[in-house]
Amino acid sequence: MLSVDAYHRPRSLEQALALLAPERAVVAGGTDLLVNPRYMAGVREVVDLGSLPLAFLEVRAGQVRIGANVTMAAVARSPLVRGLADAILSRGAAVCGSPNIRNMATLVGNVAAALPSADTPPPLLALDAWVLLRGPAGARRVALQDFFLGPARADRRPDELIECVEVPVPPPGTAGGFYKVGRTADDIATVNAACVLRVEEGRIVAARVVVGAVAPVPLRVADAEAALLGRAPDEAAVVEAGRLAVAAAQPISDQRASAEHRRHLAGVCATRALRQAAGLAPHGAELAHA
Amino acid sequence: MPDGSTLPVRCTVNGREYHWRLAPGTTLLEALRAAQVRGPKLVCGTGDCCACGVILDGRSVNACCTLAGKADGATVLTAEGLLEAGRLHPVQAAFAETGAAQCGFCTPGFVIRAYALLQEDPDPDEAAVRAALGGNICRCTGYVKPVEAVLEAARRMRSAPAPGPGAP
Repeated sequence: MLSVDAYHRPRSLEQALALLAPERAVVAGGTDLLVNPRYMAGVREVVDLGSLPLAFLEVRAGQVRIGANVTMAAVARSPLVRGLADAILSRGAAVCGSPNIRNMATLVGNVAAALPSADTPPPLLALDAWVLLRGPAGARRVALQDFFLGPARADRRPDELIECVEVPVPPPGTAGGFYKVGRTADDIATVNAACVLRVEEGRIVAARVVVGAVAPVPLRVADAEAALLGRAPDEAAVVEAGRLAVAAAQPISDQRASAEHRRHLAGVCATRALRQAAGLAPHGAELAHA
Repeated sequence: MPDGSTLPVRCTVNGREYHWRLAPGTTLLEALRAAQVRGPKLVCGTGDCCACGVILDGRSVNACCTLAGKADGATVLTAEGLLEAGRLHPVQAAFAETGAAQCGFCTPGFVIRAYALLQEDPDPDEAAVRAALGGNICRCTGYVKPVEAVLEAARRMRSAPAPGPGAP
């Protein structure tokens, strides 16, 4: 039972926007709101987005657009999403919680919750995703890397909702990798990592390396990305990038892992994700842990 | 738009229509149990064990972390709703006959997940069954038998296919 005084079910985006206020929580799947008290601080009413036309998952103008009501299960099985950089976003969505959670939880909710351990932000950051917010003054787009401000803190005002996440379709030949370490198959990541590589004429011309659960926000490792550029996608390059991921990590200790263990895993996850993207992982190996 | 302290929710549960008036923060699990639908169980209350599993409009979800308002206009199926004319559904029969229940408290959630899996994939291998049951926690340490039960139910349903209630 949530301690709230009212449950609003707006039938249009306009109605929803008129309702948004600091004391009203936005609910899509609700799987975070119902179990994590931090999202209920100061909340007296809920606004359920379920009746809004935000269940679209489509390509428009070179962007895959994923609406606020699209579940993790729908993202995980979408052929459109599967086509992005070796399906790294599909794979992040497919390991987020248990099947019952993935049938309810939404990708946009995973972004809005802004937790550093979430499974879809690293692939989304590696794919240079954008967040489309809508508020009383209209729409604004924020690059996902600027959206996360800290644990459960993001650049969303109380009178705004996230309409969708937009993922630019990468150029042909863009490779990706994703690797998660968790205590069990359904647990939150102890550490996860996603990456994207584009190789032309034997040299890396574009690189993204993102590690989750090792910093206050999902962490893009700029040093690793810079070090990869211009190099051949070989074992030495990915090991070096993994070492730079360890150096960039600023993890905490909690019930899942010590900071020291997480720092080590930052390198393991980044290196294994990069091996996948570089074609260095044996077929079928090192795709997942637990 | 209703914004008072009483939330109207109309839904169909196991073929029967309900019209509830609920406190706005009521979960689907609380609403079901208050309506004497006792298959789904409250165990963790945080979406971590799946003992509260139900089928909501064709998708298996955890009723403990689903707001009841989400069920407005929806069709809900719970483990006991799989009974047809007093006959056990093949999933239920397989769980009973293979000894897949010990204390039985988690069993309705296992049955619901198994049912959902077999709707999507009538011929799963053991790895697929284990993945599908990955969120279901049993504290009697009984995971081997439930996996056997689902594989047995799949065999029975393939040889005598009968769409269950709420099947898509």
